[in-house]
Amino acid sequence: MEWQALYLSLRLSFWTTLILLAIGLPAAHWLTFSPRRWKFLVEAVVALPLVLPPTVLGFYILLAIGPHSPAGRLYASLTGGMLPFSFQGLLVASVLYSLPFAVQPFASGFAAVDRKLIEASWCLGISRSATFFRVIVPLSVPSIVTGMILSFAHTLGEFGVVLMVGGNLAGITRTVSISIYDDVQALNYSAAMHTSLLLLGISFLVLAATYGLRRRVWAVWPPYGR
Amino acid sequence: MADELIVDVRKRHAGGPEIAIALRLPLATHAVTVLFGPSGAGKTTVLRLIAGLDTPDSGSIRCGDEVWYDGARAANRIDIAPQHRRVGYLSQDYAIFPHLTVRRNVAYSHAARGWDIDGLLSRFELSGLADRYPRQLSGGELQRVALARALAAQPRLLLLDEPLSALDAPTRLRMRGDLRQLLASVQVPAIVVTHDRIEALALGDSIAIMIDGKLRQTGVVDSVFDCPADADVAAAVGVETICPARVVSRSAGLVTVEIAGARLVAVDIGDASTDVFACIRAESVTIERNPSGNPSSARNHLPARIVSVIPEGPLARVALDCGFRLTAIVTRQSEEEMRLREGEQVTAVVKATSIRIVPR
Repeated sequence: MEWQALYLSLRLSFWTTLILLAIGLPAAHWLTFSPRRWKFLVEAVVALPLVLPPTVLGFYILLAIGPHSPAGRLYASLTGGMLPFSFQGLLVASVLYSLPFAVQPFASGFAAVDRKLIEASWCLGISRSATFFRVIVPLSVPSIVTGMILSFAHTLGEFGVVLMVGGNLAGITRTVSISIYDDVQALNYSAAMHTSLLLLGISFLVLAATYGLRRRVWAVWPPYGR
Repeated sequence: MADELIVDVRKRHAGGPEIAIALRLPLATHAVTVLFGPSGAGKTTVLRLIAGLDTPDSGSIRCGDEVWYDGARAANRIDIAPQHRRVGYLSQDYAIFPHLTVRRNVAYSHAARGWDIDGLLSRFELSGLADRYPRQLSGGELQRVALARALAAQPRLLLLDEPLSALDAPTRLRMRGDLRQLLASVQVPAIVVTHDRIEALALGDSIAIMIDGKLRQTGVVDSVFDCPADADVAAAVGVETICPARVVSRSAGLVTVEIAGARLVAVDIGDASTDVFACIRAESVTIERNPSGNPSSARNHLPARIVSVIPEGPLARVALDCGFRLTAIVTRQSEEEMRLREGEQVTAVVKATSIRIVPR
């Protein structure tokens, strides 16, 4: 089993989740509370990775961050390096690919906060941004944790986008899912099986934790009259 | 300009009547003004407009020398955010932050940092509850938290939306008196929205009657309830009998009106019209078994047939047919003594001073 690939995947998932927390909270706030009529367009853009084939998304990201693109040239002038086939490039792709997995739970959490609580805070003289951190975020913690766990799990399992943008460089861009693909290609079934089982276990634990958090009360269709 | 809240706004609301009100409220006297009217009249919207949570379509809102809203100049419209209006707004269900303890709720605003929070908590009898979370509190306790939290922000005006409607009946009864005392003690003028007559009487110094988005009558609570300006206000404040009547004659401060063949003497309000409404409260109608020998001129004695007798706790509501429908309220005791039964003939007695004549 490739521990190097697993470590890389965990590192990628960790940083992706952290960046998505920083980007996703304000994005979800805007999507929830903006009075703009055209915000459904932004919602659609955020949700695109849910339906686009990963190869399509990967292809566009590759073009967008390539050495001849404005973003690529800016990155080169700042760091001297290139984004494609690097960990940083992988990070950019992962953040975009997992965006809906963070933003949608965040936004549904914010929308569920009682509007009267928000207005009460405003009338007590607390600014909109302070109200966000003192009322909306604390009351949305379960949704925020859900979004973070989903982003983490989704990044851990991604394959197509990673292959398109990062290639298959050991220790740099070879994630755990690519290493499984490699093992199968090399007919190294026992290694593939071990890694797959580990990934299955991690994914199940992550999702079980998510649903457990969402359901605070362990109710299972209580008998009538109770 | 005196220290006044001056509201003169219009607002069209989806699914409600167009709200168009002009309201002046002195801020110096710490009085409680009741905004009274039937459900759907737009009372809550008026509070939200004053608090800055809704934006008027046009008009202006001024508080003392501050302009809170001015829609007259479209180019540089003034609309002060709720954060900067220093209004204590209590919504119907109090909106206590569920993730904070009572103490942290009360100390939530910036202005609260300068306050003696413990003193405030004890004044509102919340000291023992300071470290509890809202879900562990009763409705009455939540209301005190909401008031204490609003006051800690040092508002210049309190807005209370149906402050007692979220409480169960026994608590409501108790809190009515408590709330009156608290409002009197806090030295902040307040507007209280209610559709309950008893609440209005218990809480208000003055009252503004709102019907279908318009203010129809303002004044001291008792006088507005006793002397409604027109039939709609009379109905809103719960006058049971409102009948179209025709003026037959006027003399010596009294007016004789005819309602469906019956003649009634009432106090003349000096209005010249002949088509009027006669408004009679049920509690000012008494019922007699036998006509008394020598009826005084200021009392109207009407032969009546009992249509129904409906017990209401210690009282009974008696519907009478005197040619027109008249409602009376008698005690259960006198109902039993007189053995009032459906279909029987009695005499309804109404003092001339208890009949309010309003123009049609």
